[in-house]
Amino acid sequence: MTATGTDPHNVDGQAICITVFSAVKGWGKLWLPAVFLVARYRPGATGKLAKLSFIHFARWTLVREIAGKRLRHPQLFFESNFNGGWQEYIDAFSHILTGGMKTFWGSSYGFPEPLPTGPFKRYIQRHELVASHFYSAYPEATTTIVLSALALDGELRALRERTRDVDPVTFAREWDAFLEKVQADL
Amino acid sequence: MAGLELTDIQGDILRAYGNAYRLTTYLFFRIDDADAGKTWLRSVLPRVTTAAPWPAQFKPRATLNIAVTAAGVRALGAGEPRDLGFSSEFCDGMAASAAILGDGGPSDPGTWEDGLHDGTLHVLATVNALGDDELRDALEGLRDDAARAGGVAVAYEQPARMLPNAREHFGYADGFAQPAVAGVDDVDRRVGGGVLEKGAWRPLAPGEFILGYEDEDTRVDPERRLPNAPRDPLGRSGTYMVWRKLRQDVALFRRTLRDAAARYRDGDHEKLAAKVVGRWRNGAPLVNWPDAPPPEPFDPKNPHVNAFGYAEDAAGLRCPAGAHIRRSNPRDILGFETALSFRHRIIRRGMPYGDPLLPEDATDDDGADRGLIFVCFNASISRQFEGIQAQWLNDGNALHLGHDSDFLLGHPLGTGKMTIPGRPPFLLGPQAPFVTTRGGGYLFVPGLRALATLSDAQR
Amino acid sequence: MSADVSGQAFALTVLTPIADGQADALRGYLERLRDGGSRGPLARLPRTHFGRWVIVPGFVADGEREPDQLTTPQLLFTACFDGKLDSYLTELATELAAEADEIWGRCAGCPRPATGAALKAYLMAHRIKTGFFVAAYGKATVPEVRAALAQREQLIAFAREAQEMDDATRRSEFAARFGS
Repeated sequence: MTATGTDPHNVDGQAICITVFSAVKGWGKLWLPAVFLVARYRPGATGKLAKLSFIHFARWTLVREIAGKRLRHPQLFFESNFNGGWQEYIDAFSHILTGGMKTFWGSSYGFPEPLPTGPFKRYIQRHELVASHFYSAYPEATTTIVLSALALDGELRALRERTRDVDPVTFAREWDAFLEKVQADL
Repeated sequence: MAGLELTDIQGDILRAYGNAYRLTTYLFFRIDDADAGKTWLRSVLPRVTTAAPWPAQFKPRATLNIAVTAAGVRALGAGEPRDLGFSSEFCDGMAASAAILGDGGPSDPGTWEDGLHDGTLHVLATVNALGDDELRDALEGLRDDAARAGGVAVAYEQPARMLPNAREHFGYADGFAQPAVAGVDDVDRRVGGGVLEKGAWRPLAPGEFILGYEDEDTRVDPERRLPNAPRDPLGRSGTYMVWRKLRQDVALFRRTLRDAAARYRDGDHEKLAAKVVGRWRNGAPLVNWPDAPPPEPFDPKNPHVNAFGYAEDAAGLRCPAGAHIRRSNPRDILGFETALSFRHRIIRRGMPYGDPLLPEDATDDDGADRGLIFVCFNASISRQFEGIQAQWLNDGNALHLGHDSDFLLGHPLGTGKMTIPGRPPFLLGPQAPFVTTRGGGYLFVPGLRALATLSDAQR
Repeated sequence: MSADVSGQAFALTVLTPIADGQADALRGYLERLRDGGSRGPLARLPRTHFGRWVIVPGFVADGEREPDQLTTPQLLFTACFDGKLDSYLTELATELAAEADEIWGRCAGCPRPATGAALKAYLMAHRIKTGFFVAAYGKATVPEVRAALAQREQLIAFAREAQEMDDATRRSEFAARFGS
């Protein structure tokens, strides 16, 4: 265990990966595709997930067949690239995305309630696979830093435009106004 | 929820003994012989102070509390700590968590004081005393008992004492902000005290701090399972303790603030000092007193001192998002009420050590060793104490502060900064190594029955 | 827009059966890719935000009747990358030729050598379409993210120094460092 609470192979700098497979009950074969559809087309559906802002990219997929052979029980495949710590990540899913967890994993065999966190974490741990190789193109950057950097870029462009030909005193004023606007991203 | 069995829980955990106990000595023992260790423990057992309330007006001259390390559990012949159900971080010891705790560079365990780690220290006797005579008597008693038992040696002695006005060495009033715990502070529904749920504050479940009781997970568990704990009778009424000797470079801190104040437009170095911590030196929180401290004399028991949240100060214009108290206890600011913070609370009982650097504005170091003996209690070291260090203090991600770490604790490379929100903001730096770890350990504070078991006392 | 896409980012999932007796060797090879401080082969595919190789030895049964048994362990490869799938796989099949042979070359049914059009076809044939893909910044490419990150560092450094500059210096330094 490193400072991230997961196997070192699941870590690249600040980035952490999690890979989970779980067998899905019969009704999940209809339920999950519907869930995916709703999640894609209703932007508000993933509001909480976005607000948690420690996930770079995540995906859910229903795997119905492997090597051309149909599975008796399709597998729900989940992967995420995130920051922080494994414990904190699952805690957030448990406490905050309680409804979302039930929606996505409710049809998986053996899935306990998202709360209390103990059994939920144990379930995830049992179904989690350790990566053999995990790569991030910008390992030291967390999701919030990436978002801040992208926001700053836009603001900086605007500042450059605004101050193209101004004198130092005007620039000083513009610079202060710029800093005031972007201070949460510094 | 069952009431708390205060006679079985050691004192100073749920309720502080109070500032009348201005002297503390941490006396670490090494057990060289298991039977001797048990004999010695049996002899001190009757003097251990519990959480039971004292009769009105009565205060014992000195209090005594006992904690053990994993090595201590082994040395007492109780068995292998892992097999007994102690947590893995406790069994591995604090040095093994160095990466998690940010104990690198000048705080690396390789630089710690000789022998000041939980691998060689077995039992900690904490004595809190009203005065010098009381302290001396209590310590003599402990040493005499050890000598009589044989096979038990004093391994490290750390004196500590309150500074005037309950300040710590950087000059801040400290120690009065603690979590609200059900069964102890049931009437404590103050803003910011415990858990914010559906718009109302309530105290935390006692199992977050004392084992054998329901914790916050139990509350939402249909089977009402209790948190992981060492196997009874060792676990019940116990708690985990973190003990860290943190040296403070007071001169460096003062110099940094004074130098930076020259460029700070919104105030003087006192205001900068307040922005770094989130409280003015007298303890008044910036959230409630954003522009100037309340006049002296200021009573830290004023309810506005601890009853606050940060929801109205999201931008951090009053109390910066990176301020020490906001980082170490984010209250309601991480979003989703307290869902992301409520399981990471700790109870702190530290004490300053070493003489103050005088005069109060001296910016040259005098070479003396001074700092804080950091002590905290929690049911899970990894979730609570380590969680705070790794996720909130040593990094900024959870608080949307990039890689900025807690300015007050300093940075080993001296390259960091702190954004002080404002119109415009001020970037405070450089973040030098103001605080370094000199040693310490993870301990377990057994309940009274557990202590009796550990010492083979006949019941 | 397909479920594999969010903004301009694509979620690729490939599941291939590992050839008999090759799982341990494959795991060992993958785990050594970062030896000596190497960033690994995916660093040579600059459109890749995140990528992973995971060995799936079998599925954990949880009380289902007649749980599925894998006849052979599977190799899972996933990536979040910029732009179109077709060109990404073309780049992968070219750039990662050496490693691909050690990785997918150990998978059943993979053409040897595992490069070029043959590898691309193999990966396409084993691709699993995504159900739901969520990206925090799906519109930003890897070069854009990297440039923004570096620029943020420079901006913070400048902002700290600018606190001590006079107006004229601040104006000229800003122009020098960030363009005018």
